[in-house]
Amino acid sequence: MSSLAIPIGNLTLRNPVLTASGCFGYGLEYDDFFDVSELGGICTKGLSLHPRHGNPPERIAETPAGMLNAIGLANVGVEAFCRDKLPTLRERGVTVVANIFASSVEDFVTITERLSAETGVAAIELNVSCPNVTHGGIEFGKDPRMAAEVTRAVRDATRLPVWVKMSPEAGDIAAVARACADAGADALTAINTIRGMSIDVEQRKVRLANRTGGFSGPALRPVALRIVWDLCGAVSIPVIAIGGVATTRDAIEFMLAGASAVQVGTANFVDPSASKRVLDGLRAYCSERGIDAKALIGAAR
Amino acid sequence: MSSPVLAKRRLTTLPLLRRESIGGLYHVLTFEDSEGTLALPGQFVMVRGAEWGDAPLLPRPMSYLTGGNTPSILIKVIGEGTLRMGRAEPGEPFTLLGPLGLPWRSPSAGRRVVLVGGGVGIAPLLFMARSIAEAGGPKPLAIYGGRSSRDLPLDDDLEDLSELVVTTEDGTRGTKGRVTDVLAELLGPDKDVFTCGPDRMMAKVAEMCAARDVPCEASLETPMACGYGVCLGCPVPTTEGGYLYACMQGPCVDARRVDWSKADHAPRKLALSGRST
Repeated sequence: MSSLAIPIGNLTLRNPVLTASGCFGYGLEYDDFFDVSELGGICTKGLSLHPRHGNPPERIAETPAGMLNAIGLANVGVEAFCRDKLPTLRERGVTVVANIFASSVEDFVTITERLSAETGVAAIELNVSCPNVTHGGIEFGKDPRMAAEVTRAVRDATRLPVWVKMSPEAGDIAAVARACADAGADALTAINTIRGMSIDVEQRKVRLANRTGGFSGPALRPVALRIVWDLCGAVSIPVIAIGGVATTRDAIEFMLAGASAVQVGTANFVDPSASKRVLDGLRAYCSERGIDAKALIGAAR
Repeated sequence: MSSPVLAKRRLTTLPLLRRESIGGLYHVLTFEDSEGTLALPGQFVMVRGAEWGDAPLLPRPMSYLTGGNTPSILIKVIGEGTLRMGRAEPGEPFTLLGPLGLPWRSPSAGRRVVLVGGGVGIAPLLFMARSIAEAGGPKPLAIYGGRSSRDLPLDDDLEDLSELVVTTEDGTRGTKGRVTDVLAELLGPDKDVFTCGPDRMMAKVAEMCAARDVPCEASLETPMACGYGVCLGCPVPTTEGGYLYACMQGPCVDARRVDWSKADHAPRKLALSGRST
């Protein structure tokens, strides 16, 4: 039987299908649909030091084959996550990647230390690329020096694997990627959303209260694929792809470009079991061809 | 009052059984569900054509008009998604994710139920009226308003199930004016109000009920991407600060919890796509 296991640094994922932060809640919303522990992992909603209410409505707008969101990192905060969510996830054997967000290097470290004190966190994913908040977020991810500084500080604060989520808006993404890899990142995840806009021509009004929002969905896929391809050539650490993955074909496409794994994002909104469908399809694809999932990585390069 | 037991949510692909065009931009879509949809009045469903491909991308939140083996929804064509729904032919497959959200609470004992609806907001109220009738309960009062006589879909159905007063802003049917003009005369301390319609209407209804200390339950409508608590695209400002999410903490809520002054009074497009009719 084909093996779907994928090594990401010291961590071995049971398969290469994960769910993307912000598109899968805390992984506890899916009991009616499927067993989330079957997935390679789940990336939690971005956790901050304190709970956040998020942005005022409207927060979302649909665009052709995609959508814009400006949620503003509404989340329960790291403490409530550790207290109310993590124990259940741990009990169920879910591979939990804690996505974290802060507006200072110190807060990134504090959140990391809090999560490292718990069992049941498989890796930390640094959100240095959120387009929808005023401070922190994307400004860390656009600049190689700042991205490296955050990565290094978190690296020194934990023994957990550290993944860094790349902004597509960095002038030189490969430079940011190399800086993060040099600073000790175990993997890169790419890409976060790209800022976009939409205006209602009948109301003559910008549709999102935040004016701009992160663009995601199938329409983003070719852009994400190109960036993932470039990053895989620029760094030797694993790259985990995000960007419009909705089907098994999409996941395989990213893996052939060099990604070690994928995260399913917006597709979860359309179908709560989208990640499970992608996984089942990948299993079938590999077993029909008698190959391990690992063999797909970079096979089109 | 005990919380209702909510049915497990299911994602199903169901064929359209029939589409009834009921004038203007309104249609009733009925699906065939052999397993049966265990929806309670006030709950909603995320609906999307199974053959839409990647656009329109997101499913549309719609209140159930009925459940059971023939779940149905009432739609108004306002954007790309509803345009496609309004053209769908029997047999066309749709994906339905539901039942979702919190249903209407039970009416308070000893109070007369008053249903206050505007336009397509009538759907969850009609479902409630039907379930009251099936349970042999007393006929509710209903106040149903629209801009004109064309904006009162399913008024005949409501007439059979309630003591109905209709209002139109242009006077083409019923009392000329708004539902709140009629409510002002009917609203006494023995009433129990359930409302669904445009934000501006519900805000006024909520304000009138609060002033008279009458309980009022509102069914909220906002754009949403997922319908089950993860996209966080459906925040509604609350009086205690912060937001409640219409999908999980609603759509049916105690109207006093909502900060109506901050509610978005612009028409909320169920269909989020830019290419509206």
